[in-house]
Amino acid sequence: MASDPQMLANQRIVEDLASRLRRRQVVGSRQAALETLLVLRQVVSRARFSNVDQLVDVIRSVGRRLVDAQPKGRAHSFLYEYADFNHGSFITGTSEHSVGNTVRKVLHHIREEYHTATEGSTPAPAPTFSIAKFVSQGQPRKQQTVQKNDAAKVPLKENDPDDPDSFARTLKPVLMEAIQDVFDELETVYDNISKNAKDHIHSDEIILTLGKSKTVESFLKAAAHHRNYTVIVAETAPSFVFSSFHDHGLTRHFTRYGGREMAKSLSSAGISTFLVPDSSIYALMSRVNKVILGAHAILANGGMFATSGALLAATAARAYSTPVVVCAGQFKLTPLWNLYHEYGALDFGDPSSVLGFEEGDLVDKVDVVNPYYDYVQPELLDAFITNYGDHPPSSIYRLLKETYDDEDNEL
Amino acid sequence: MSEPSKDGPPTPLSSSQPSQKSMTKAERRELQERQRAAKAAQKQQQGQGQGQASSSASSRSKAQGAPQKKSESGRPRASSSAAPTSSRDVGGAARDGSGGIDSEGPKTRGLRIFSHFGLPKTSGHQVKGDIHPAIIRLGLQFSEFKICGANARCIAMLTAFKTVIQDYTTPAHNTLSRHLMTYLSPQISHLVAARPMSVTMGNAIRQLKLEISGSDIDLPEQDAKDALCHIIDNYIRDRIIIADEVIEDLAVKKIKDGDVVMTYARSSLVEKILIRAHALNKRFSVIVLDSRPLLEGKTLLRTLTSTTPPISCTYALLPALPSLIKEVSVVLVGAHSLHTNGSVYSRAGTAMVAMLAKEHSVPVMVCCETYKFSESIMLDAFGKNELAPLKFSPPEAPKPHSNLEVLDPLYDSTPPTCITAVVTEVGLIPPTSISSIPLALGKTSL
Amino acid sequence: MSDFEIFETYQRLLKNEELSTPLAAILALTEMIEQSRAGTMFELVKELKDGAEELNLKSPNPISLNAGCELFIEFITLFPHPSANFSELKTELIRQGQQYVVEALTYRKKIAELAFDFIKDDSVILTHSYSRVVMQTLLMAHRRKRISVFVTEARPRGLGIKTAEKLRAVGIPCSVVLDSAVAYAIDKVDFVLVGSEAVVESGGLINAVGSNQIAIIAKAANKPFYALAESYKFHRLFPLSQYDLPSHNPKLLSFTQPRPPGMSLKTQSNNASEVNPHQINQEQIAQNNPDVDYTRPDLISLVFSDVGSLTPEGVSQYLVGMFAG
Repeated sequence: MASDPQMLANQRIVEDLASRLRRRQVVGSRQAALETLLVLRQVVSRARFSNVDQLVDVIRSVGRRLVDAQPKGRAHSFLYEYADFNHGSFITGTSEHSVGNTVRKVLHHIREEYHTATEGSTPAPAPTFSIAKFVSQGQPRKQQTVQKNDAAKVPLKENDPDDPDSFARTLKPVLMEAIQDVFDELETVYDNISKNAKDHIHSDEIILTLGKSKTVESFLKAAAHHRNYTVIVAETAPSFVFSSFHDHGLTRHFTRYGGREMAKSLSSAGISTFLVPDSSIYALMSRVNKVILGAHAILANGGMFATSGALLAATAARAYSTPVVVCAGQFKLTPLWNLYHEYGALDFGDPSSVLGFEEGDLVDKVDVVNPYYDYVQPELLDAFITNYGDHPPSSIYRLLKETYDDEDNEL
Repeated sequence: MSEPSKDGPPTPLSSSQPSQKSMTKAERRELQERQRAAKAAQKQQQGQGQGQASSSASSRSKAQGAPQKKSESGRPRASSSAAPTSSRDVGGAARDGSGGIDSEGPKTRGLRIFSHFGLPKTSGHQVKGDIHPAIIRLGLQFSEFKICGANARCIAMLTAFKTVIQDYTTPAHNTLSRHLMTYLSPQISHLVAARPMSVTMGNAIRQLKLEISGSDIDLPEQDAKDALCHIIDNYIRDRIIIADEVIEDLAVKKIKDGDVVMTYARSSLVEKILIRAHALNKRFSVIVLDSRPLLEGKTLLRTLTSTTPPISCTYALLPALPSLIKEVSVVLVGAHSLHTNGSVYSRAGTAMVAMLAKEHSVPVMVCCETYKFSESIMLDAFGKNELAPLKFSPPEAPKPHSNLEVLDPLYDSTPPTCITAVVTEVGLIPPTSISSIPLALGKTSL
Repeated sequence: MSDFEIFETYQRLLKNEELSTPLAAILALTEMIEQSRAGTMFELVKELKDGAEELNLKSPNPISLNAGCELFIEFITLFPHPSANFSELKTELIRQGQQYVVEALTYRKKIAELAFDFIKDDSVILTHSYSRVVMQTLLMAHRRKRISVFVTEARPRGLGIKTAEKLRAVGIPCSVVLDSAVAYAIDKVDFVLVGSEAVVESGGLINAVGSNQIAIIAKAANKPFYALAESYKFHRLFPLSQYDLPSHNPKLLSFTQPRPPGMSLKTQSNNASEVNPHQINQEQIAQNNPDVDYTRPDLISLVFSDVGSLTPEGVSQYLVGMFAG
């Protein structure tokens, strides 16, 4: 195992990010992913390991720590999860899946680099054929290019007695490069998604979008360079930027209607924009040519978590056979199935943005529900536009298999 | 082209002579616009606007001369057309778009497409002509949204009419049955200028017109006026008040102990139903969904929670709907009007509630009196709608400018497939059977 | 060939309750290899194919059996055989087959654990007929969560009753639902869970007759429909419709010819003549009706298998990966 001072240093940076995640001081999934990557880069550069499994374990534990640190809503039984006004506690925060995804991506890259690195050096051991392997991996091949754990274990130990650090030393630069690749991908995610924007939006189209998403924003702005079209922005439910912690006595918060900022931003970029409340989504849908949404997380079955209101828009679009397109970076791909097939409202926002204290006597007698996210089924979505190409919801599963390794699904 | 906000009255409901002066002025103005538009229309494709407007207009004009509502602009605004915006009849859409072109360069397609919605009216428009003070006050209340809701507006209007009728004196050489209507027309148009006419108001006025023209010539004036007031009272009593009670009785039977009832925004009728069910000691809870711009659900919430013991309520905004719909046993909504093809025209957002409820096999009951029926066919919420005035936008909302417009449509149209049942005073009916009822009620219309 | 009777072997193996038909088929084939006197791979494969054919013909329900046979034969065909020693190879193949069956018996547990995550507390589950893997899942769920179960009767065999009895024995609240009452009950249900005879290339499901009906009802009521299938049940079949299934024959669902009245009295004079010539008994109905049906992939939400939770599209991937060169 890595020695103690390393562990401490690692712990410190990990804890720092964990606490910032908990306090929602990291805003946005891309930001969370970038910060996670920074932490991982530090951890890898400082880590000492003599076989790949040790490194994987270290990173996994870091990942677990970061994912667990995130606040999750209390809500589980749907009917009336709400803030208990009398006791003044608030449900805080949302879980950023991009943190876990980044960890998985890094692990995937590490294993890949490791395999390419060890391919020439050690002879491939006698591959174990079996029908079970056959079923899960396809035909038995003479030369297994992708070996999973059992076969890979063998060469590792050989490094141990000679020089414990040589393994790490040879591998680290390659790993750092791999991490840098992930960085680059994250940095350029908006540009890559917007690359083909003009192919997706045609002249004089009317596009409907919901709330605020940086990805969709850059997509629409990129298309606006080439095309003249109109955007209708539905302002969707109020959402929080900061939330308050009752026990810390902090009460910094303000309600943000994402849609309004989006409308402001788009219109100042020269796109003709309409701002509407979400009650009129159905009313206007008959004239909308396309619905473009952002995603918070893309799930393994091709569905997604998106900002509250997205399910309404997608259902209305289905009623009019309007295509629904989702713009999201690949770092949002999450190997989760929506467990329980419920609407993803495991996180709820502060009810006071829905029914404020100024309503006085009402607040005592009424339960308020204000979920953050909707789960949108894959049947309602037509395409995902990601920085690595466009995919229908049915291929997401395959994409996940290529991007992450199965054993990392549970960190 | 700054106009006072009230241009002449729309073509009145009856075929009797309009008040000559104001009508022709408006006609003249329209003629000018048409000429200007014709020139500009050559530049732009207004095909879809015209096609849509003309087809909807022809179907409507075949109907009983439904009240044409000119939703007129307030002060000319920099952001959109300076020309008075649409009426809902032919050419309205075309005119608007092209009218705007002259004032500020070509508008984008998007801003043109929605231009027939008309600009939200501002309050405080000028009074044109001889308007009774009761009507003036009413107009103000309408435009301030102090009186809101199809039933409320209709009752308020009829009550005000009673006052007007009582104060009315037939001029010499004229009969009440012929002159009263023309006297009332400018009053009506004043109200329309404040807010577009609701179907309920239109139906009531039509009925009133029928009664007026049928009133006995030989009757002394006061008796005739009393008779009319009496008829108005009866109309309110029979078609609204008693109808509501019958509907309450029917709907309350569908609420069982342990039910979770969901409703959207505020319908006066649904409110009454829930309170009655509660008074009958039924144990149920209510989910109130609400949405901008009007946020009327809060009013409903207040009423429901002030019962003793208070009804247990949950409040949420529309986007929370998918999380809540699974627990709901029945959805109860009100309506602004019901159309021949079975679609329900009601507060914006109702369509989505009905759609999602249908997907989850939750029955949707629309509570609606028969006087809300309209003979027109509504295909979508686009042909006819009304925008909320900007005062309902919260202060931190972005201000409109050349690229940004804030639209707050107030209504939408729910397709009949999403509705399980319509509760009327003649019983529970499926939405598509509505067209057989007005005739049964002896409602004469063409 | 030999005096090795494959069908008897197969039936003997089936007596083990734990073994499902494809596994029994694989074991039967391994025994065949043992007995085989083939000298080359080519001959061996031919023997196995003949054996599989025979099993197919003689078995009343050949589809899942076929899946197992094809899997094994395909594996053997693609197995790289560097050694020149043929008997060593045969031993290896037999070992592989037996090892796989042993491993495959753990699959049900694996699937149960996967599916368990999708079952939340207080779930109401609808299941069809009797399936060992569904049973295992329900038992596991019952140990850790509260569930209640509707089981369809699954006529004509009535296997659903067997399921209900077993569930009741462990204390799971359950109720037997008429096959015709599924639509009535569906709004009370949270999701549908069925086992499978085979999962086919299109991503669809072949299971006891009635599954298709339930899937259609579940879709109409917007409830998820989950299928549990071990990976050896994946079959490279692509039925285009119900009537394209190998289990279908023209005699199924045929209209019986009514016998002319005069003749019947004469021919049945020795029998009790009060027997109604038009009477239909349950046995006839069972024979005239199909045993399995085909559920389209768009009606299925997810397939839970030991290789993971798969969307119906994901199933095709595995099948192509397995069998395509």
